[in-house]
Amino acid sequence: MTTTKLITVQAAYDDFLHRSLSKLPCDLARLIYLASTRDYNTGSYHHDGLASRFSPEVAAKALEIAHRQVFVQLSAYSLEELVEQLRIYFESSQDGAAEILRTWQKLEPYRIAIPVEVNLAVARLFLSNVRLALAIWRSRQNRSPQDH
Amino acid sequence: MISITFAILLCLLVILSLVLLATRGSSVRHELSFRSDVPLYNETTGDPSLCPPEFAARIFSPADWTFVSGEKSRDVVRLFQHERRVVALVWAHQTKSAIHRIMREHTRITRQSQDLHLATEARLVYHYVQLVAICDLLILAIQSAGPSHVGSLATYAALLSQRFADAQHTLAITTAARELPGASAAH
Repeated sequence: MTTTKLITVQAAYDDFLHRSLSKLPCDLARLIYLASTRDYNTGSYHHDGLASRFSPEVAAKALEIAHRQVFVQLSAYSLEELVEQLRIYFESSQDGAAEILRTWQKLEPYRIAIPVEVNLAVARLFLSNVRLALAIWRSRQNRSPQDH
Repeated sequence: MISITFAILLCLLVILSLVLLATRGSSVRHELSFRSDVPLYNETTGDPSLCPPEFAARIFSPADWTFVSGEKSRDVVRLFQHERRVVALVWAHQTKSAIHRIMREHTRITRQSQDLHLATEARLVYHYVQLVAICDLLILAIQSAGPSHVGSLATYAALLSQRFADAQHTLAITTAARELPGASAAH
């Protein structure tokens, strides 16, 4: 990649961070959002606004970098921090916490939030931690259903 | 007579232990490949890179264990023990595979090199043997005692393997630079 292109990708990344990512309430929401910009079949990223301000290619690269960065950040969280991330995510969602919790435990949609080419052990740690954080939420909910 | 019987018994014991370890190792590998979401790293598939040391520290961190214990739920504790054991084993197997790959790469480079430093090579081989032994020990310890008891050894292995990878990388660059046409004339 040339220096000019690297600078453009950095500009696109900063723009995306400022306009979109910073508006989201937590890293978990950022990860889910970034994963949703990736095509299921091709694995390439797309964002209309960013592509129109830069180019589809530059936008895709910036999204890919942002996705990997947020994933690594989230994977390094302690379980306690991840449980807190879940709380913020549940509270910011329009669907009820119980509904999301049930769906997440059943379908494990967070599995497709893993970027391509991440370290195997880190990916496994992330999946394991989300599963544990959900189990902790479920256990808390079972103990005091009125609180959640 | 007593010493011969004792020696035979000792040999049998050693052989039995080795068979037990080998069987246990392969059964755990088998179990992991089914239970783990992401397959174990092997020669043909998966990620050949080393896991960053800060993640090794996270996998073996006692902080998560303290947090989970505080939740006072038997199911959560059981799930945590199982999940962390699997992740720790994935990490140990991946680290061992990465070390093997680095050493293979190094052997390939040194075979072509004409300017070998015996002391450096010996040091590298020593670190390689040490790392493989630590990984094997970790795998056994994680299987038998769980990951929470081997945190410091795992962190040490993570740092040492990173240093090993860095040293091999530097050596590869130096060897390549030394063998560039005209490099010897420049010195």
